[in-house]
Amino acid sequence: MKKTIIVSLVAVMALSVLAGCGGGTKTEESQGKADAPAKPLKFSLSLPVTTTAGYQARVTDWKNDKLVKQLEKLTNTELTVRITEDSKMSVMFAGNDIPDVVGSIGTPTSKSMAGSVEAGVFMPLDDLLKQYAPNLMKKVPKAAWDAVSHNGKIYGIPDYLSNPSRRGTYIRTDLLEKAGLKPPQTIDEFLNVLRAFKKMGVENPYQMRDSFKYADVVLGAYDVLPYKDQFEVVNGQVQPKFFDVDNMEKALQTYKTMLDEGLIPKDFATISSADYSKSINSGKAGAWSANATGLISFRTPIRQVVPDAKVDIIPSPKGPEGKGGYFFYIPAVRTFYINKNVDKERAIGIVKFYEWMTSEEAEKFFTFGIEGENYTLDNGKMNYKIPTTKEEQEEESFRQGTLWMGQDATLSPPRKRLELDQNGKDVLSAFDNVLNMEGLPGIGFYPDLTAFAKYPDLAPPQPDVGPKLIIDHMVKMIYGKEPIADWPKVIEEYKAKGGNEILKEANERYSKKEGVLEIKR
Amino acid sequence: MASKTDTSGQAVYHFAHAKAKKAFIIKHWPLYVISIPGLLYFALFKYVPLLGSVIAFQNYNIFKGITGSPWVGFDHFKRMFAYDEFLVILKNTLLIGLYDLIFAFPVPIILALLLNEIRHSGYKRVVQTVVYMPHFLSWVIVGGIIVGLLSPTTGVINHALALFHIEPIYFLGENSYIRSILIGSGIWKDSGWGTIIYLAAIAGINPDLYEAAEIDGAGRFRQVMSITLPSILPVIAILFLLQIGRFMDFGFERVFVFLNSLNSGNGEILDTYVYRAGLIDRQYSYTTAIGLFKSCVGLLLIILGNTFSKKMTGDGLY
Repeated sequence: MKKTIIVSLVAVMALSVLAGCGGGTKTEESQGKADAPAKPLKFSLSLPVTTTAGYQARVTDWKNDKLVKQLEKLTNTELTVRITEDSKMSVMFAGNDIPDVVGSIGTPTSKSMAGSVEAGVFMPLDDLLKQYAPNLMKKVPKAAWDAVSHNGKIYGIPDYLSNPSRRGTYIRTDLLEKAGLKPPQTIDEFLNVLRAFKKMGVENPYQMRDSFKYADVVLGAYDVLPYKDQFEVVNGQVQPKFFDVDNMEKALQTYKTMLDEGLIPKDFATISSADYSKSINSGKAGAWSANATGLISFRTPIRQVVPDAKVDIIPSPKGPEGKGGYFFYIPAVRTFYINKNVDKERAIGIVKFYEWMTSEEAEKFFTFGIEGENYTLDNGKMNYKIPTTKEEQEEESFRQGTLWMGQDATLSPPRKRLELDQNGKDVLSAFDNVLNMEGLPGIGFYPDLTAFAKYPDLAPPQPDVGPKLIIDHMVKMIYGKEPIADWPKVIEEYKAKGGNEILKEANERYSKKEGVLEIKR
Repeated sequence: MASKTDTSGQAVYHFAHAKAKKAFIIKHWPLYVISIPGLLYFALFKYVPLLGSVIAFQNYNIFKGITGSPWVGFDHFKRMFAYDEFLVILKNTLLIGLYDLIFAFPVPIILALLLNEIRHSGYKRVVQTVVYMPHFLSWVIVGGIIVGLLSPTTGVINHALALFHIEPIYFLGENSYIRSILIGSGIWKDSGWGTIIYLAAIAGINPDLYEAAEIDGAGRFRQVMSITLPSILPVIAILFLLQIGRFMDFGFERVFVFLNSLNSGNGEILDTYVYRAGLIDRQYSYTTAIGLFKSCVGLLLIILGNTFSKKMTGDGLY
């Protein structure tokens, strides 16, 4: 009898060891090793990507990848790296195959995290960070720490934004000069510039797009962006910004004028992002809205078509209240979480690993790569080999954007790299002198309001797209299928179809300060 | 497939007593063993996943699993029927399915009959290949082509209309055109491909029948109506039944590529709604409930259709 028990116990233990192996690289590797500091810290890490194309597509063996090896050398670690597409994150969670450190795009309650933080898959990091990563704590702005907190506890280490205003108004300066006009400062001036462009034969004076995505300069000027994190407090009540009937009607009227006068494409409701880029890059657009980091990627193709084209980022035209620009992004772009099964010693090591990310050594490695291969130093002067082939460019962007964790993600490529040439300097100047002055703060709810899940038509499907119900009415009004004066009715419809529940929950959470994120500079 | 009607299923063995049956099975045991992997495959990959549909009756959470998630009964179904736009979306789904059945289903048959009448085999082959082609394009590409063709500024169709002094029409910006565009694009893309089975069935018709008809003085049209069409009727019936089973599955992509704010009132179907609802906050259970509802309607339609077909033509799917 006793023997049977022992045998079955052994069998169970053997099985659980097997199960442990099957479950991925969990805790068994490092026990007892962490206290010997000379030994490298071992942990597994999943890096989030939006696409598997690029550098990551060419690496088959991450153990022997030169960038990973260099990172291991610099940080005395032994990494088991894998790449996880953002859309496949829930598959990883459902399969319970969770590495020691998981990176994801967004915040703890983002869809790609599949509710894992709420389910307690990861550990809170407050104490560890305070004790072992003082520089990181200082460098990452509080707004970003707030964004990666859940129920008051920090759960992740973010790639943060030091400047939440990321989009800018682009204009073809050469056309502006030809028209003899100054950069527009108000919406009225903006329309006049567009009219002048139209007269000069520019096909799409303002490159509009479907759903107002990257086409919201007017909505911004009137401060009625219908987005997820664009709630505001009016008379002590939290409400979406599109509740502002007066400004919304003016914004819609402006778009209608633009459509009627041919200042935006007649079929903008079916202009996809591909059509939008194609039109701009072939020199058919006079002004447009886009990410400011994209300046270089617009200049090059446009100049191939129109050799003397000049593309610049100008201050966004202001509305009657002096507001303008685009929505503020939530200040955490990617977030890295530590599996709760990681023992304390290793967790400390991992936090120190992220602390190292703030160092100058890290900045140099991720920005410029490996000495001798990517750059040389002449008496301390940086001689960076600027990537020319597609392969080299992909390697650079992987190093700077994917492998560098816990960084300031405002600029891509990083500041030091941008300082090397004129295009980069122009991007820097756009961020430091233009975007710094504009943009629209708002209130967001993290995790999402639960009422959103109940009423998909009232929930913004993406951070920069409004709810279907609202967008549908806006588009119909601009096309003249519904009168703009009916906007109050749209708000009533919104309320009746579930909006009242959204408002109620938003106000309750706002007054209790539960998962409320004020997104401001 | 044509031979199915003659034999009315496979030969059925009758055994005098159980012992004979057993002996028969033992004699042919390798065949039974060979069938096991196939049966396992269907059990494991087709029937076991079906059980996952129970999450439609739960508030499913992937970390708690099916065993740990709370049961909520028919809540998700109630919510689906209570949704304001549900009737509109259901109406669109049914109407588009119906139009597809009425307008798109007969096209491959007519096309196959026409192709069959082409005498020059080289020309016939070229035409066949050309009409198959669009099938291999993805809906995203087809969507792009059609959006381009219908564009009010650069589209060929509107340029043609301009020749007749007709103002450009924003086809995709009107509720009234969207269903025609959906069905039309489906016909363009898949009717050529759909002819394959009909052509195969036509090839299986005994040439003696045509010879006899010719001797009796039947013209080509008479031959088509009295020989070709009746001969492929069982095939048409089976494909029609399969089509009915897919009545609610018009397809997500082919609608999604054409939808926008101006036409979604007539264009949105259950599939695109599931996509939208699922996009927001991991609604596994709710979207499964909608899927399950669709499958049940499909099953019901197929049973009805099959019974009907068996009564009418004596031939059915099962």
